Amino acid sequence: MNHSFRKKFNRTSFFFLLLVVAMTGINGSAWSQPESAKEEDYFKIMRVPAPEGIILEVGGLCTLPNGDLGITTRRGDVFIVENPTSQHPYFRKFASGLHEVLGLAYKDGALYCAQRGELTKLVDANMDGKADIYETVYAWPITGNYHEYSYGPKIAADGSFFVTLNCTCPPVWWNMKSNAPWRGWALHIWDNGSMEPWAAGMRSPCGISMVDDELFYTDNQGDWVGSGAVIPVRKGAFMGHPASLVWSGMPNSPVKATREQVYAKNPPPPVEFDKNGQEIKPQNDPAGKILTEFEIKKSVPDLQLPAVWLPHGILGISNSEIVKIPEGTFGPFAGQLLVCDQGQSMIDRVFMEKINGEYQGAAWAFRSGFQSGIVRLAWAKDGSLFTGETNRGWGSAGEATEGVQRLVWNNRLPFEMRAVRGMPDGFEIEFTKPVNKKYAENLASYNVESFIYKYQAVYGSPPVNAQKCPVKGVKVSEDGMRARIIVGNLRQYYIHTINLDGIIDQENSYSLVHPTAYYTLNNIPEGKKLAMSEVSTKSTAGKMMPAPDKSKAVVTGKPVVKTAKPVAAPATYTFAMIKPLLTKYTCIACHNAEKRQVGPAYIDVAKRNYSIEKILSLIKNPQPQNWPGYSTPMAPMPQVPKEDATKIATWINSLKGGKK
Amino acid sequence: MKDKLDTGVLTKNFFKITGFALVLIAPYFLPAQNKVDLSQLTSFKDPAANWHIAGDVRADLNKNELLVLFPGNGILVNQSEPGKHGQDLLFNTFHGDLDLELDYMMAKGSNSGIYLQGRYEVQLFDSWGKITPTSADNGGVYERWNDSKPDGQKGYEGHAPRQNAGRAPGLWQHLKISFQAPRFDATGKKIENAKMMRIELNGIAIQENVELSGPTRGALGNDEVTEGPLRIQGDHGPVAFRNIVINKYDKPRPELVDLKYEVYKGKYEAEPDYKKLPPEAKGTSFLLSSNVSNIPNEFLIRYTGTLRVKEPGEYNFNLNTAGGRGYLKIKDQPVIRLVEWGGKGKITLAAGDAPFELLYSKYYDWAKPALGLSVAGPGVREYLISDVNVAPGDQVDPILINAPVNTIMRSFVDIDTIRVTHAVNVGSAQQLHYTYDLDKGMIVQVWRGGFLDATPMWHSRGDGSSRAVGSVQRFGKPLPALETLSSPGASWSADTTGTGYRPKGYVLDDSDKPAFRYQVYNTLVKDASRVLPGNQGLQREITVQDLVPDLYMRLAEGSVIESISEGLYLVDDKSYYIRIDDAGGAMPVIRDADGRKELIIPVKNKLNYSILF
Repeated sequence: MNHSFRKKFNRTSFFFLLLVVAMTGINGSAWSQPESAKEEDYFKIMRVPAPEGIILEVGGLCTLPNGDLGITTRRGDVFIVENPTSQHPYFRKFASGLHEVLGLAYKDGALYCAQRGELTKLVDANMDGKADIYETVYAWPITGNYHEYSYGPKIAADGSFFVTLNCTCPPVWWNMKSNAPWRGWALHIWDNGSMEPWAAGMRSPCGISMVDDELFYTDNQGDWVGSGAVIPVRKGAFMGHPASLVWSGMPNSPVKATREQVYAKNPPPPVEFDKNGQEIKPQNDPAGKILTEFEIKKSVPDLQLPAVWLPHGILGISNSEIVKIPEGTFGPFAGQLLVCDQGQSMIDRVFMEKINGEYQGAAWAFRSGFQSGIVRLAWAKDGSLFTGETNRGWGSAGEATEGVQRLVWNNRLPFEMRAVRGMPDGFEIEFTKPVNKKYAENLASYNVESFIYKYQAVYGSPPVNAQKCPVKGVKVSEDGMRARIIVGNLRQYYIHTINLDGIIDQENSYSLVHPTAYYTLNNIPEGKKLAMSEVSTKSTAGKMMPAPDKSKAVVTGKPVVKTAKPVAAPATYTFAMIKPLLTKYTCIACHNAEKRQVGPAYIDVAKRNYSIEKILSLIKNPQPQNWPGYSTPMAPMPQVPKEDATKIATWINSLKGGKK
Repeated sequence: MKDKLDTGVLTKNFFKITGFALVLIAPYFLPAQNKVDLSQLTSFKDPAANWHIAGDVRADLNKNELLVLFPGNGILVNQSEPGKHGQDLLFNTFHGDLDLELDYMMAKGSNSGIYLQGRYEVQLFDSWGKITPTSADNGGVYERWNDSKPDGQKGYEGHAPRQNAGRAPGLWQHLKISFQAPRFDATGKKIENAKMMRIELNGIAIQENVELSGPTRGALGNDEVTEGPLRIQGDHGPVAFRNIVINKYDKPRPELVDLKYEVYKGKYEAEPDYKKLPPEAKGTSFLLSSNVSNIPNEFLIRYTGTLRVKEPGEYNFNLNTAGGRGYLKIKDQPVIRLVEWGGKGKITLAAGDAPFELLYSKYYDWAKPALGLSVAGPGVREYLISDVNVAPGDQVDPILINAPVNTIMRSFVDIDTIRVTHAVNVGSAQQLHYTYDLDKGMIVQVWRGGFLDATPMWHSRGDGSSRAVGSVQRFGKPLPALETLSSPGASWSADTTGTGYRPKGYVLDDSDKPAFRYQVYNTLVKDASRVLPGNQGLQREITVQDLVPDLYMRLAEGSVIESISEGLYLVDDKSYYIRIDDAGGAMPVIRDADGRKELIIPVKNKLNYSILF
């Protein structure tokens, strides 16, 4: 570690704080903790300069053995970028004219890419620097629906290929179909053109990856898919979206699950039509029966549950490629997974472990602030990470429509949860650096809740069954690197939101860069539980907690001293007052106050002159047809309490005539 | 990628929104068809001896200025005695504004033209294969001429077609012209130039809104008039015509006068009781426009005024009420009832003033306000009577792909109602392009002119498809190119099931031309095409690695297939030629196929043939 730099940093921030105090006159207790470091203090986003005029709507990225970067684009080009991490990368157009290529892989001197309708091998036989053989390895049927994207390939240990195929989306957007064989499937293909259908039940499988020679994928939230997640794809598995099961009876299908099996326990709502004969979008029924994927799995055993959920709107809205962090790369996170997201232009980090033969684990936000939606990731030879980006037609937090960037670690150690592991009586949290034990042994530093997503045919599944999980004791390891917590009300299969807002590190008294982990507890491991005699049970909520870090939004209810009497609601709200709510309910994943992102700017919502009641009803049951210029329909958010929704609605309407 | 709102729903609304913009491009109301009688020459004024009526006609690809006539009627032909100059042909009828639609056929090397009002020429020319057409080429608006200028500067204001959409000699070409005559004031002074509003050749617009400052070279007179005779050039080589349809628009348009408007605030799905409503704004307007309301949503505009009709007869109205409802009443009678997004209706009107009332209630917040009303009537071409500057929806910058060199672009390609999903578009610098269906090994279309419009594929989410920019020749339903037939009469299969068909992609040659490869019947097939010298068409070479017994190729299908000389066929009512260049001695067969004709040929190891168009 660079001590002199850190000292300087601390001194600088200290002086800055003094200055702030002098200027604003905030009281002393608020600056008793230093300003904590942020993502960008450790991971820098760099440019990859590209010649003007090239449109890099990236669909595929791969690093070649010589370190060159292969890029495929929606416009059908394949570029090979020489010296891609230098100040002057050289873009060579290797191939062109391909059909919306959404993947790229290298094998034995050739490039392989999935076009809309086939897996293609590209070979430069005459060595003039561009492909002259465009060989169809395997062509699959496709109806020509716009939503029938095809992704891959990923290369298995034996050199064979995996591709995944999106579902069809006609004629209504809330009800995906599989109108040609293998839409919604993963296919396993060999060089000789033979193909075996591999697994079904995918909805929009944009992110696939081989992790330790095992196929994983991420799906996109929508009908039957409550949230993005990292999911292993085993042969014969059903991944959860029933549309593709229409082909499970094909002679070469390894998938045994049927739609009837799923519908028997979880029937889709009847299709209804309006007076013009248009199909009516079924609405989420907050009072209806709540079914989850794990409950359906009891009668559909081949249903594969997610290894790690990536909660919708928090860790992305359209998760894409998964990559494993190589050894010697990104410091303490080597061996873990990174998952990118298109809509939120961010990267998540995932730690996986195997309990009772099934994967599970924790996910965190890792780095946001990219210029456009990220769909692809590839490791550069120097250990930095290329991000392949596009948002065209969908919108994203990063407003650029396309590009390639590079994420570089500056070799400084961030204070993070390195891992969270399931324990028989709770969780063990491993840190990247020693914690301040005084805080770590205080139960008030921890907050755990759990929830799961509804599993239903209706588009947009809200989180359901949320419950608190009391933290009953904590044992901090001698070296301060681990904290094992005893947690009550552990629920198998649930997503456990573990918030460590109160934890600071020993060295700098910094808060965690990302204080919230989302742990998917598919199995509660057997083993020795902690005895109450071993653990600290002291809890001093509200007394010695660090001041709220203004740089970070507070996600879950942290222990704060409540005012005795409710304060009368102010007539107007400022963005600062509303932002925590927008963050908590994930509104901010898609909406910005002033600028269009995935969804409309709040200022544009304000122009619609909705009543407060109307906004409340639209939060519960959005009407995407009211926003024809926007591609991603909003999910129903019945979980937002009326009181908070009213505050948000009041603030939105206050934006009329300019931002407040 | 993540899911997204279905384009279908939006597209529907998009078309609702843009409906009235489309109206102006493709008229909704087709007036009565006035087809010129070509059973004899009575429609023409003193036709010279070079003008004939025939039942069929053929050109010769090897002989200049020759058309061969066959007895019968329905076709008007200009063919002079050898060594004699022909004369132009004048129609009996005079015209001002008109729409003219016809088929024509050029002899090799021939030159003709259509003079609107006898004065403004749209050039007809054998421009076969020309890459960069000028105003003197097929579809050009011919130049004007000034004798007082030095040589080389006498010609001016010729207007080249946007692209060469012309076809080979001996093929029927389809031409549509919308012409607007010059306008004069009461003193006879010209106040508006004549205009080629639109010229469409072989399915694509090649000229739009070309103003003519005066008659073009070779005009009947250098004066300009309200009415003149339609005229066909007959002195520069043979040409044939059929299916001539003339629609004259010589009657004055109805006008809206004394327009008053009232704007009401609020959402009205039914007509409110105005007596109880104070209008938000009111006034008079010279224009029927939604722009009188400053309220973006939830408002109602009520226009009242007078429709001043000069020509009695039946009038058709097309109302667009983007994001809401509207109605149209004339003479207090409902012409278009209160419907969402607008509608159509008609009413018979006498000459004179008729009370006019129009309602536009806009309440869908996501739609932009846009009111459109078009009118067509007896002798009145459909026109927008409302504000032309009301923008319906968002306008999109087109994404065009040119082919300055051999260029390949895969996409979905729509062949009529069939979406070809594994299509490869192959473009050339010669501006002659084709689409290859990898599922069938079939060339499904060829075209000349611009390469591709990729807007449908690359704008916003896109739908994965692109469209030919130029003038397209299609070859019917996509079917497998090669099949084994148990007998020459056995019907052709719809797909490759059972043939072991497997696409193998393509290999580029040194100039990036693709040679497609596929496996079928356990052998490898190579399929390469190149543009013929002179850009006359496409020459295709099929190579079959191992002999497959009873293997046939389906070369063409059409309503008619004519064998006109050894190895040369005219297909589908003279739409294109198929020329067998080398079939290794195999003979093609014309056969019946579901009421149409098919041209098939046995294939051994190699087949060379050309598509000429």
